[in-house]
Amino acid sequence: MRRNGAFALVFNGIFALFMVAPLVVVIGVAFTPEGYLEFPPSGLSFRWFQAILDNPDFIEAAWISLELGVVSATLATAFAVPAALAIGRGRFAGREGMQALFLSPLTVPTVVLGIAFLRFLSLFDINGTFVGLVLCHAIIITPFILRLVLASVAGLDRSLEKAAISLGASDWTVFRRVTLPLILPGVVGGWVLAFITSFDELTVTVFIVNPSTTTLPVRLFSHITQTTDPLVASISTVVILFTVLLMVVLDRLYGLDRLLMGEGAR
Amino acid sequence: MSFLDLRSLTKRFGDISAVEDFSLSVAKGEFVSLLGPSGCGKTTTLQMIAGFINPTSGSMILNGKNLAAIPARARGLGIVFQTYALFPHMTVAENVGFGLEMRKVPKAERKRRVAEALDLVHLSHLTDRHPQAMSGGQRQRVALGRALVIQPELLLLDEPLSNLDAKLRDEMRLELRRIHKEAGVTTLLVTHDQDEAMALSDRVAVMRQGRLEQVDTPFEAYEGPRSTFISGFLGKTNTLRGDLLETTESGSRFRREGLILDGPVAHHIPGPVEVCLRPERIDLVEADEALVSGIVSERIFLGNQWLFRVDTPLGELMICRRNRGRREAEPGETVHLSWKPEHLRILPVEVQG
Repeated sequence: MRRNGAFALVFNGIFALFMVAPLVVVIGVAFTPEGYLEFPPSGLSFRWFQAILDNPDFIEAAWISLELGVVSATLATAFAVPAALAIGRGRFAGREGMQALFLSPLTVPTVVLGIAFLRFLSLFDINGTFVGLVLCHAIIITPFILRLVLASVAGLDRSLEKAAISLGASDWTVFRRVTLPLILPGVVGGWVLAFITSFDELTVTVFIVNPSTTTLPVRLFSHITQTTDPLVASISTVVILFTVLLMVVLDRLYGLDRLLMGEGAR
Repeated sequence: MSFLDLRSLTKRFGDISAVEDFSLSVAKGEFVSLLGPSGCGKTTTLQMIAGFINPTSGSMILNGKNLAAIPARARGLGIVFQTYALFPHMTVAENVGFGLEMRKVPKAERKRRVAEALDLVHLSHLTDRHPQAMSGGQRQRVALGRALVIQPELLLLDEPLSNLDAKLRDEMRLELRRIHKEAGVTTLLVTHDQDEAMALSDRVAVMRQGRLEQVDTPFEAYEGPRSTFISGFLGKTNTLRGDLLETTESGSRFRREGLILDGPVAHHIPGPVEVCLRPERIDLVEADEALVSGIVSERIFLGNQWLFRVDTPLGELMICRRNRGRREAEPGETVHLSWKPEHLRILPVEVQG
């Protein structure tokens, strides 16, 4: 393995610091005993973590975000996997168009999407409902899964499936026993990215929630428009902790580099 | 009645004809090679038999069954792919057992048959390995075991040795022969490697531009090529274009560059022909016995043999000599060449397609 030179080490160090600094500030602020955003904290206190428990609407919003993330990521995965298989291997007219369409939520400005969803959901009278949120989030996060699964599909040797067929496997068995296990890193990686994106989504969601379906980001956003107490910092810290735990578990199970970089990191 | 009967098999992709009017009969237990340069349609033919490509027309009968009416997964053929196509997430035993699992063979019997198959390919000690942790030759054996364990009526091998290095290839060639002999399964091998085809097969089917040019035993195909293409593809050859002057009961006479040569009995109408002469059939002789003399332009040492290029009045001739540990002619030296008339092979002039 090549070692980094002094210049590269300094550069990478500064860059890592730059990326981590906001998180350090947020975590620091969360432990302040004071009633305002203070950094560095003048003492160590769990006061603002206790305050989370006194605000059940935040906990409820977190549950909604969690459910929304799981359901919409799963729905989007169920849609993106067959789409990626078709796009990645098919030779049919409109293949490129299909791919561009499914990836388009990445390029359309989210504010535009938010307004569009608002109008669209109103047409079906599901604006502000959980189902409406799931559908909108599924659309926004599909590109993340599609891209990762497409990368896995591109690395798939088609003769593996032919071999399975020649040995007597039906189409469904080929998918279940050969194709899916081989693209699984891409699928799981895509699901995780999609879940995080959904959990974190604010711009679109803010257009389409109502008080009974308020997600955690929306709740936090409306909280800081009214007051600026360290409660948002302590909640953020819990979310960071939760994310780190998730990443550790995933790394143990599949290897993070493999999940998030797709092929090549085997 | 042949075991596998391919009749007028044709595959066209749009206007392009990949396989045209291909007919071949294979006897039970026979080992036949489809040999040809890349793009000759040999792999397309294999894929049609396997069921991955639908023929445009023609029929395929295996042991009395019409293959075209059976989907690929129900054909029950053993296939070894060029890349081996081993399932990377399964162990050797799981790979080999996959076909039996699909056939719902009970677990105990499955285990026994997997063990037998691994025994046949000499891999019993690696049952629980994953394919990534194996060498090319070992993967090859797993692929063979997986294809054979389902007791296929027909074994299809798609360039199985092309991903191995030269030494291993020679070794696996012998292994393939042994396994074929022990399993006794009718086998169709697709290859572009003439040595492989000749070493392994009972018969060689040479393909060119989607058509079958000749089917013969390796010896007959080598000695009696039906075209200059086959002569050049199966081993090395010198091809000389000239005029057939006359044919008689006892031989023929051929003229090139003003020189007249005796040839074997030929059944061609006098006129332009091509004559093939194998490099190993040319002898170096004394000046007074020579049919033609020339100057060595290049000499290549191959270990067990020498290869010479000699400029002669007939044109450049390639000569192959066994290395006997003696001094051989050097570039610039004049050598005198001779051969027996029956070693000339007179063939019609190739129409450029």
